[in-house]
Amino acid sequence: MSKYALQLYINGKNNVSVEAVDILNTICREKLNGEYYLEIIDIQEHPDRAEEEGIMAIPTLIRKWPLPVTRLIGALTVRSRVLAGLGLSSLEPVA
Amino acid sequence: MSIRKLVTGITAFDHISAGGLPYGRTTLISGSSGCGKTLFGAQFLAMGIQLFGQAGVFVTFEEQVEDIRINLRTLNWDIDAWERDGKWVFVDASQKDDDTLTVGDYDLSGFQVRLERAITKCQAKRVVLDSIGSVFSQFQELNSIRHELFKVTLALGRLDTTSIITTERTEEYGKVSRLGVEEFLTDNVIILRNVLSEEKRRRTIEILKFRGSSHEKGENLFTIHPEQAIVIIPLSAMDLKYRSSGVRVTSGVAKLDEMCGGGFYRDSIILVSGSIGAGKTLLVANFIDGIREKDERCLLLAFEESREQLFRNATGWGQDFTKLEDDGYLKVVCLYPEVASLEDHLLNIQEIVREFKPDRIAIDSLSALSRTSTDKAFREFIIALTSFLKHQEITGMFTVTTTLLSGGTSDTEGNISPLTDTIILLRYVEMSGEMHRSLSVLKMRGSKHDSSIRGFTIDDKGINIGEPFTGVSGILTGIPARG
Repeated sequence: MSKYALQLYINGKNNVSVEAVDILNTICREKLNGEYYLEIIDIQEHPDRAEEEGIMAIPTLIRKWPLPVTRLIGALTVRSRVLAGLGLSSLEPVA
Repeated sequence: MSIRKLVTGITAFDHISAGGLPYGRTTLISGSSGCGKTLFGAQFLAMGIQLFGQAGVFVTFEEQVEDIRINLRTLNWDIDAWERDGKWVFVDASQKDDDTLTVGDYDLSGFQVRLERAITKCQAKRVVLDSIGSVFSQFQELNSIRHELFKVTLALGRLDTTSIITTERTEEYGKVSRLGVEEFLTDNVIILRNVLSEEKRRRTIEILKFRGSSHEKGENLFTIHPEQAIVIIPLSAMDLKYRSSGVRVTSGVAKLDEMCGGGFYRDSIILVSGSIGAGKTLLVANFIDGIREKDERCLLLAFEESREQLFRNATGWGQDFTKLEDDGYLKVVCLYPEVASLEDHLLNIQEIVREFKPDRIAIDSLSALSRTSTDKAFREFIIALTSFLKHQEITGMFTVTTTLLSGGTSDTEGNISPLTDTIILLRYVEMSGEMHRSLSVLKMRGSKHDSSIRGFTIDDKGINIGEPFTGVSGILTGIPARG
């Protein structure tokens, strides 16, 4: 299985959360060609999910697959680091 | 005016804090590693459940939940049942072993949502966050984390919980906390210390500040008891307001009663001082024998002699300790002073007293106990012990050993004599080339007493107090002279 499995934990409709959702959607569209599962979890609606995963910071992006499981915390604003964290750096076109 | 407090249920803490922790607020507990802060937090929750039926939330930033459970089970706290019944809820905020990368701004609302969910779910009244220092190592941005934690403390107050935040400090006397930012979270700060002093561990608790509320100042000793967890020995908080009894009890020696103006007061502490072999243990044996007059019970704590030795000596003076013990009038406990710290000895003695409910207690000898600690700690021990005994209206006889055979005082004596009500001196006197034994009542609080120095002899019936020495002076200095 080669599909990416991602979970993004956000807090309601606050600015940082909304922005993170947009950024992540863009990255997935550009980089993953539909080869991914993305689940967006609002901790206000699903506090139990936050508990299960031990979420502290918001936003938190968890790459469940491929292994190793990796956590990215923060607003995903630093694109190069997000790509590195997701293991997508090599796919970045040379500018 | 004092602010509202939440009674914690931790032994003596409510006493030194004048009623417990500030209600609806957060208190910071700071201490070096191994000082007992996690235990204090856990005990705060456990007592809430056991004594008041108040649920609690335990947030761990550092230790694994399962490790904490294991530790708590050793204290006979039924953590599993409490968790099952929703009385105790863990929030695991410890660091995950996944790789973590920071990619932009964040807040800790994830944590806050989980904490609020846990509190609402079990309707918690008490919350513990252990320990906050780890949050700063998990998340690097000091200022924003401080702000986030401040929001957490606001939420804790809003949800009507009384909470404890623990934090690390690197030295016993110095900055309140490692990073120096934690104490800005709250107005209430408690310090736990664990100091090595003259080869002995000395644990103390100090309430540094409780904004807008009174509390005891300074350090109070505490010990970690295998079943009761943290037990504070509140020396500074001891009040001297015990009832003073006018009832007299016999010393077991008619003549000595006479010298004391009719016997010892029931709630008094009698100090018997003398060198080795001066007859201290004999007076103790008589004191024990005195229980027969009113069918009282006596507890004998022996720190010097073995049971066999004691019983044999008593037989030599015509007393049957074995029978007294069989009949339930006497309980003899022999201990090596070195087996425990003074704090533990104190707890142990209190436990035995509560169980056996004696009318009298004899300790032979205090000097043996004083060997194991510093002067200060020993004095504190005696204050705590005498106060405890007086509250229970128990008559106490303590012996101390002087180092010189004739004359002289002991360090122990100098330390504690102000705390006792009656002092009896047993001294050897050399006169005309012979050793005589002498006995005198040096002090008898609240009563007239015979101030003469009397000779006494010991035979197979016990002690025979004779007439006062006349025409001799300087007996107590050990160098008597015919005057």
